[in-house]
Order: sequence, then C-alpha cells, then structure tokens
Amino acid sequence: MPDVSGTKRITDVGPHDYHDFLHPVIKNNYGKWKYHEILSTAHMVHVSETGDKIYSVRVGSPRLVSGSFIKDLCDLADKYSEGYLRFTTRNNVEFLLDKEDNIEPLMNDIKKLNLPLGGIGNVVANIVHTQGWIHCHTAASDASGVTKSLMDDLYEYYIDAKLPAKVRIAFACCLNMCGAVHCSDIAVLGIHRRPPKLLSDKIINLCEIPSTIASCPTNAIRPDTYNGKPSVKLIEEACVFCGNCFTVCPGMPISDPLNDGVSIWVGGKVSNARTKPSFSKLAVSYLENDPPRWPKVVEAVKTILDAYKNGAEKGERVGEWIERIGWPKFFKITGFKFTKYHIDDFRLGEATMNYSAQVRQ
Amino acid sequence: MGKKYETPLLDELKKGKWPSFVAEMERAAETSEMTGDLLGQVEQSYKEKMGHWKHGGMVGVKGYGSGIVGRFSDLPEKYPGVKEFHTVRINQPSGFFYKSDSLRKIVDIGEKHASSLFNFHGSTGDIQILGVKTSELETIFQQLVSFGFDLGGSGSALRTPSCCVGMARCEFANYDAMHICYNITQAFQDEMHRPIFNYKFKFKFSGCGNDCTASIARADMSIIGTWKDNIRIDQGMVKEYAKKMNLHKYVTSKCPTKCMNYSDTGLEIDDSNCSKCMHCINVMPKALRPGIKGGATILLGSKAPMVSGPRLSMVLVPFYDVAEDAKNGYQWFKDFVGKIWEFWDEYGVNRERIGELIQRVGIGNFLEAIGLEPLPEMVSSPRGNPFVLYEDYVEADEGQGESPQG
Amino acid sequence: MTDETKAQLEEAIVNLIREFVNRKRFKPGDVVKEMEVKFSASDVTKDDVKSAIRELTDSGRLIYGYAGGSFLSLPE
Repeated sequence: MPDVSGTKRITDVGPHDYHDFLHPVIKNNYGKWKYHEILSTAHMVHVSETGDKIYSVRVGSPRLVSGSFIKDLCDLADKYSEGYLRFTTRNNVEFLLDKEDNIEPLMNDIKKLNLPLGGIGNVVANIVHTQGWIHCHTAASDASGVTKSLMDDLYEYYIDAKLPAKVRIAFACCLNMCGAVHCSDIAVLGIHRRPPKLLSDKIINLCEIPSTIASCPTNAIRPDTYNGKPSVKLIEEACVFCGNCFTVCPGMPISDPLNDGVSIWVGGKVSNARTKPSFSKLAVSYLENDPPRWPKVVEAVKTILDAYKNGAEKGERVGEWIERIGWPKFFKITGFKFTKYHIDDFRLGEATMNYSAQVRQ
Repeated sequence: MGKKYETPLLDELKKGKWPSFVAEMERAAETSEMTGDLLGQVEQSYKEKMGHWKHGGMVGVKGYGSGIVGRFSDLPEKYPGVKEFHTVRINQPSGFFYKSDSLRKIVDIGEKHASSLFNFHGSTGDIQILGVKTSELETIFQQLVSFGFDLGGSGSALRTPSCCVGMARCEFANYDAMHICYNITQAFQDEMHRPIFNYKFKFKFSGCGNDCTASIARADMSIIGTWKDNIRIDQGMVKEYAKKMNLHKYVTSKCPTKCMNYSDTGLEIDDSNCSKCMHCINVMPKALRPGIKGGATILLGSKAPMVSGPRLSMVLVPFYDVAEDAKNGYQWFKDFVGKIWEFWDEYGVNRERIGELIQRVGIGNFLEAIGLEPLPEMVSSPRGNPFVLYEDYVEADEGQGESPQG
Repeated sequence: MTDETKAQLEEAIVNLIREFVNRKRFKPGDVVKEMEVKFSASDVTKDDVKSAIRELTDSGRLIYGYAGGSFLSLPE
C-alpha cells in the first residue's frame, strides 16, 4: 500500500475545520446577522448588526457532477467571491459575495454555463434524490432520470416565484429512502410490487438466516430447510415489497422490471412553521417505470402542482392546503383514484381513520 | 476518449433546460474509461428497467469499517470498467462551506484515482467520490487525510453528522450549529469509523424550527434551535410590513397558539404561549427576530421506513442550553448521548434503530433508564386509554403512603 | 489487563470469528458481549474488548464486512 504521508499511517483526523472556509465577512459577522432580504429567486442579502452585507447567489446543480463541473464553479468563485462558495442541503450551489457589483457579471457567467439561477422563496426547490440505477443495488427506479425529467418540466417554477409557498419535491428509489422523502410536499418513491424470488442455493450459502427472518416487517419470512441446511420460506400474501430482506440476503432479489415503478406522496413537511412536521400521504399508488422520461410521473406531479397553485392561499404549503380543503376534494380535483391502497393497514394505521361526523358533503 | 457505446435513451436526458447528469457523465468519461462503461451499463438499465449492481461486501480501508460503500457490477465482463465501482464518502465541512483550492484538490483525487464523478453531496451530507477500485482506496484515503479531510460514516456506525448554515449566515440560528456539529464529529471519530452499533445513528443540527437539515424526519437525534425569552420586535418595521400586507391574515391568524395580536398600538406577543414555530419571523424577518436566550430542543427517534415504519423524532429535552455546555466542551451532551447509546447497546437488536427500540420497550422504561423525568412537553396529550402498567400496590396490612402513587 | 490476558483476548476474538465463519456474522457489539462473559474472571472491560478489536482491525488480522449491517470477518 502506498504511504504518501510519510512514515506513519494517519487516521481519524475528522472533517476539515470549517473556519478555513469562511469568507472574511462571514467570519467577522458570525452570529451577528440581523436580517435577510430575498432580492430575486437567485439571490439574497444578509445584513449584519455591524452593517456588513453578504450576498448569496444560488445556482441549481444535478448533484451527480463531473470534476469539470466543480472546477467551473471554482473558477467562478475565484473570479467573483475570493474562492468562497457553499452548497445547500438541497444540492444547490451558493456563491458568497461581499461586492454587490460582482452579482451581475457572476450571473451572466453562470448563464453562459447554462446553469439555472433560482431556488429561493416560493419556488419548486431543487429535488433531493438518491442514486438509482447509477449506483444502487436495491433501486426500483432511476433517481437522476426522474429528477431531470421533472426539473426540465418544472424549470419555470425554479427560476420564478409563482407558487403560494415553497414546494419541496424529493425522490427515493426504494423504501430505504436515503433522504427525507417521507416528509416532502411531493415525494416520488420507487417501489417493488412482486415478492422476492427465493434463490435457495444462494440463501443457504450467503445469508445469515436469523437476520434474514428478522428483516421482514410483517413476519412473512419464516424458517425452513433446503438440502438439509437452514433456509427460509416466504408467506407471499404478507409481503409488503419493502426489499429489506434483499438488503440482508443477496439470495432474495426483488427487482422485477414488469412490476417495479413509483408511487407518489403529498403534503408532508419538516418545518415547524404554523403546523407540525408531518409525513407525506399516498396520492398515487403506482405508476410504471417509463424511461427515459417517465411522462406519467411528470404529468402526475404537474397535476398536483397545478391544483395546488390554483387552490392554495398565499403562504399555504401543499399539506396545509389539502388539510383545509379536505382529502375528498383533493382526489376529486386531481382525478387520482382513491383505492383501498390509500387506507393504512400497517401498524397503528387505524389512527388515520376519520373518527368523527365531520365530513365535507 | 470517444464514445464507447450508443446511448439513445440516455441521450434523451441531455435535452431540456435543467443541467443534465448524462452530460456530466459524458464530461467525466472524457477523462475516465470507467465512466464510459458506466454509461453503457446505465443505458442497459434504462432499456431493461432494472439496476445492475450487486451487494457491497468486504470493501474498506485498513482499520476502518466505514466510509466506503462497496459496489460491483453484475455485468463485469460486458462493462469491465464498472466491475468495481465503489463510493468513497468524505466528511463534509460544517455548513457545506468550501474554498476553491480545497475543492480542486478533492476533484484532482477523483479524476486521477476514480471515475471523475462526484455527488455534491450525498443525502446524509458527505461528498461522494464515485467509481473507485479497491486498489485505489488507500491512496485516496491517505491523500485526503494529508490535507485535512477524512472519511464519513457508513454501515452500523455513527453516520456523518450534518448541520445547517447556522450562525455563519442566518439570523434565525439560535445556537452555534456548525460548532457543535464539528466538535461532536471530532469527539466521536471512533464511533463513526469503527462500526459497533446495532445499526446506523444520525445527528442533525438545525438552528431553528424551519429545520433546513430535515433533522426531525431523518436524524436519530434531532437538535433543533429554539429560545427561552421574547421574540425581538422592531415595531417600526412591523408597521412597514403592515403597509404591504394584511398582517392579520398572513401573520397573526396563522400563529398556531394564537399568541399574537396586531392593533394600532403595534404587535403584541404573549411569549409564554409561543411555541417557537418560526412562522411570524419567517414572514417578517426585518421586524422580528428570535430571542437572545437561544438553545435547542433535543428530539429522538426519526427514521425512514425500514424496518417497522417511518417515524418522526419526539421531544426528549425541551430546552438544552447549548452555549453553556459549549464552555465545557459539550460534555453534558456527550454524556447524554453516551447514556442513550449504552441503553441501545444493552437492549437493542441487530438492525434496530433507537426509535424502534423505544417503541418496543416503551417510552416510560426508556426515560427511566437514561434518567429523564417524564415531562408534559414530551407528549401532544396524555394517554386516552386506561390500560396503565401500574408498578406496585399496597396490601391491607401495609402502611399508607409507601406507594409512589400515594 | 495484563499483556498476557490481552493476547489471549485477541486470540479468543479471532477464534470466535473463525469458528462461526459462514454461519454467523458477528457484529463488534456481539463480540464485546461474548468476550465480557468469557473473560469475566480476568477484569476485562468493554473498552478492553473494543481496543482489542481496534488492534485486530488496524493490523489487518480482522476486517469489517457489510451485509445490511456491519460485521467482523477474517481477511479473504
């Protein structure tokens, strides 16, 4: 093994100290910020008690990027923000400028790179998403492709603030949900719909039987023997297609091109503003995978967004709007079919029933 | 390096206004043959509507059980460049702040020793270098360490903690999220790099209830900023906002506790009834600010669906005086976390998140074990059913007043 | 803990993993619990077992594997 550091192998240095990466204006005004003002969907200013100002210019990124992409960003940062930049939790890039005069030329250079300026305020925020077929072994759909198709269509909502409030969309390619999909205004979730195959030869050689059994949320996996060795059997009727067994045991593949696809969920949020944080709820139980552009998924998301835009009051998030008008009306105006799959029958699911005579007639 | 495969389906995703990941893969393929093969394999996935990756297995740098996600193609003969295509997770700096020189160094590593593809950033927060062969792992690791970066978490370990932009660029920050995040990450390097937990454990630090890190949905421990004193009001600026919008409709009537009123005399707030939801401050950032006695609410237990269903975090400590604890190197916080981990270690089973364990053993038992008093702030309401597990009773010949129930 | 106990502890850990190879995947936490019992007579603490595991993995005698969860394994 090469040892570039010298004689001793160094470990556990931890993350780089962030102080080295803070713009001098940020360093001098750390903890002293007084207010901010959104100047456009692509830039805002933070004003300090000392009177200092820092401008942030926000740019969308596809998250999966080449080294050249990052070097382009570095060039812009060197030219306009003394090399300082940051990323947001939703895969945007922010250039941090102390000179107002630099904003316009920076934005012009960003446009030359065909990168989107926006993402601040009442917009469709950049979609947070997972790896999909690019890099994951449990993916039921591709993440980058659906995200790209959606953002192409929703582009105007990223660069212009045309919505009643912020709309956060998320994509996860399986129920492992690498990202807070379950609390998004609109969530697209990759799903399987067919029980895993039992490759018994693999199961007896590659899988730890007790943990495979324990991985099942519905006890559908039971102990069994195969060729005299400990193995498992599957109660297919009890399977909820989560794929957790495959994560633990390579002998139980669950991907199935004919049946994999996505479901769409609405009305969740993580913010505590006004109403408590909440889960996204099922809107569309299944749409088939339709690469490369997933037109039905794009159409369903646009249907939700249009209904929300037309029906919500200023400041209302998607979930707050639906709570106000009621779920029956949501299904009526979107045209999505309400089915038995929409009624929660998992643990504690009963809590979601309507125990009142309060019904909008 | 020229195009190795025809990719008609992926080519469709080069169209449109949003920046294209396919175009990025092609740019990366200019310097990396591996990425050329990746394009071929992903095109096949698009054709067949399924992925072509196998389980991870034994991949890592010496001494660490974390930070590398092993990935192997299930079509290695057809696409030899992606036979091994691991991910290196690099712990991001607090708040995702960078200077270009450091970014360039990271990019150089990915271009010389991997596929030239990156995630900025992964869902948990790490920078990810994609497409690394096992033979390159040690070189990449040593180079990263040489300029002060280290690997993040993966597997049954503390996952890379993350935080919002905090006091560096946000007036809503009620505590120094970037500082505590950095401190805690440094303190728990062993727990991050050498997996010893039942399953993953995540910390996310958000400076206010807007929760920009989504901690309440996806951190086992969510540390969310709040304050104890009064919202700071600039009545002059409130009047300015009132000229532009209907404050009753958009601010006071939206208050979840109806603790505010706007009249000719100005904005009045009953701060004792304010639940720190941030709505009024979000709408009028020039007029209102959180109080000065900042701190955080500590919540526990959120997670994605596996195994027993999704959960949000619930309140454990209504107010944690972060600044006070900072004077002592966050020792109270570290001890508190230690007690929770000890309980999880003792009673949890393989692949059981802390939220699931608490659900299984009962919240009352958990609180008792870690030495927390039950508080009304922890519940949205007391129980509505009478199936109470009373723990003791008195016999007729015993004296009165022995029972803690009285 | 004496050097002798330490050597015995490390040996016992490696043997445990070897004994159950292909049958059970030992999480480091499982190993800690097993060794606490096995060495209960010789004042071996949780932290002693943890540091023994660290020495074994740092030296490459054991490696970490991952299959839905992390476990200890013999190098291939």
